[in-house]
Amino acid sequence: MSEGELPLVFFSLTVAALATLFILPPGVAVAYGLARWEGAGKGLVETLLSLPLVLPPTAVGLVLLELLARGSPLGRALDALGVEVVFTPKAVVLASAVMAFPLLVRAARSGFEEVDPRLVAVARTLGDSRVRAFFRVTLPLAWRGVLTGALLAFSRALGEFGATVLVAGNIPGRTQTLSLAIFHRTQLGQDAEALRLAGIATFIAFAAIYATEILSRRREARARA
Amino acid sequence: MIEISLRLPLARFALEIDARFTSASVAVMGRSGSGKTSLLESLAGLRRGARGRLVVGGHMLLDSAVGMDVPPEARRMGYVPQDSLLFPHLTAQENVRFGVRKGRPSRVDEAVALLELEPLLHRYPATLSGGERQRVALARALATDPALLLLDEPLAALDVALKERVLPYLLRIRDEARVPLLYVTHQLGEARVLAQEALLLEEGRVRAVGPADAVLGGVTRGLLGMEPEENILEGSLERPAEGGLRLRVAEGFSLWVPDAANLAAGVHAAYAVLAEDILLSVGPLTGVSARNVLEGTVRRSEEAGVGDRVLLVEVAGVSLAVRVTEGAVRELRVVEGSRVFLAVKTSACRRLR
Repeated sequence: MSEGELPLVFFSLTVAALATLFILPPGVAVAYGLARWEGAGKGLVETLLSLPLVLPPTAVGLVLLELLARGSPLGRALDALGVEVVFTPKAVVLASAVMAFPLLVRAARSGFEEVDPRLVAVARTLGDSRVRAFFRVTLPLAWRGVLTGALLAFSRALGEFGATVLVAGNIPGRTQTLSLAIFHRTQLGQDAEALRLAGIATFIAFAAIYATEILSRRREARARA
Repeated sequence: MIEISLRLPLARFALEIDARFTSASVAVMGRSGSGKTSLLESLAGLRRGARGRLVVGGHMLLDSAVGMDVPPEARRMGYVPQDSLLFPHLTAQENVRFGVRKGRPSRVDEAVALLELEPLLHRYPATLSGGERQRVALARALATDPALLLLDEPLAALDVALKERVLPYLLRIRDEARVPLLYVTHQLGEARVLAQEALLLEEGRVRAVGPADAVLGGVTRGLLGMEPEENILEGSLERPAEGGLRLRVAEGFSLWVPDAANLAAGVHAAYAVLAEDILLSVGPLTGVSARNVLEGTVRRSEEAGVGDRVLLVEVAGVSLAVRVTEGAVRELRVVEGSRVFLAVKTSACRRLR
């Protein structure tokens, strides 16, 4: 790794990790709600939540840009607070988080759907409140889905390009991530460097997925023993 | 003391139950879908929309008139579902300790000893047999020191051999741990051996309620959607001078049972005899190898599946279920009121406790 690449990798990892951490609590809550809630409008909510998966990322980026623009209500409110988002590292995190959110929700939700609600009922009769039962029974049993979702979200955030480039730009040393840098290098004709960055990205993705596999296998072996 | 006054709308009908129980063991019977499980879930606080009044052991659980509905975690109901529902991510020990809280009474050690779980404590549910799982589920409920144990067909998922091994534990919970039981079952034999009072439900309403003998004596198979296949006989053991071991079930009704050195005269015991293990004859039985020959009267004759009938035969005031083929019933001309003789091989009597 050359000297310029280390901060780049570090920045990308931090952004992806922060984006994942930020969407984890709301993502888990939404996933759990969708798994348990059977009401009118469920299909509509599901469709809305899946939109970022199917829209062109640049379209999502554009919407975010409009929402945060100086003239918009949200932009004015942020301005009043002295918070600047557009074309800052915050925008990178925001764009990655929005794009990764549906992936987290989908995987976590299937994890929650596998948990027998009657186990929760038994936990309640054993003295657990709703919240306590969630953390002692539901979450430990759905953890694989949540972990898979978090990992998918992390990987998606790491690879985010379209939305990021619109909201955060491609500013080396400020908002440039690995995937933006790969594009940037090829544009400059530095194919060898671009290729090396692609290699690094591959390695990170591989390590993350492999670690999850090992973790879940160890846990499963214990439950079978 | 259990006071039930419950209204709960269900899919096909509404549950409307008014009953009071004063004994330590109540059997809830009725065919599938008659509302038995809904009653248990209402007591456990797992059913929304239940109205009425529920009082268990002096504690008000539900009083919709004043808007009181105690949440399940504060009801102290020990709930044991049919399929045990152990937490798969926890060991047997962690399951048993699940409901234990600091500063609240716990009966973990007692439950582990009573249900003989010591060797299983470090295993995960996936590695336990059906009977072992059911014992862990019983201990998990018992360990929280419940005011009432709600048992939803705890033996139904087990085969006959396993059933025999779990039933004695239920008797121990009733007699040694002294926790009141509300017990849903399809088995007349189980209900007879476990319950002092019984509640018979039909389409969500009380069909009969009262002392177990009175309620269970009058039930028909159709009403229960069940099979009284297993006879469970209780009594004290006798050691006659000529040797061997006998169970004295009632005045004029004793049964030779397999001898075992560890059983002393005077001990209270329970034995199971399958309905198909009893031989029926219309004439006096002599020269048969079965040592137990009983004389009784056919009280009821009912269809039991294809080509079979179950006769309820009263012997010295005790009702025995005997399974025979339709053909045999026709040939022997057995009708309700017939005098019959029953032969039971000693080896067909299996000890429950």
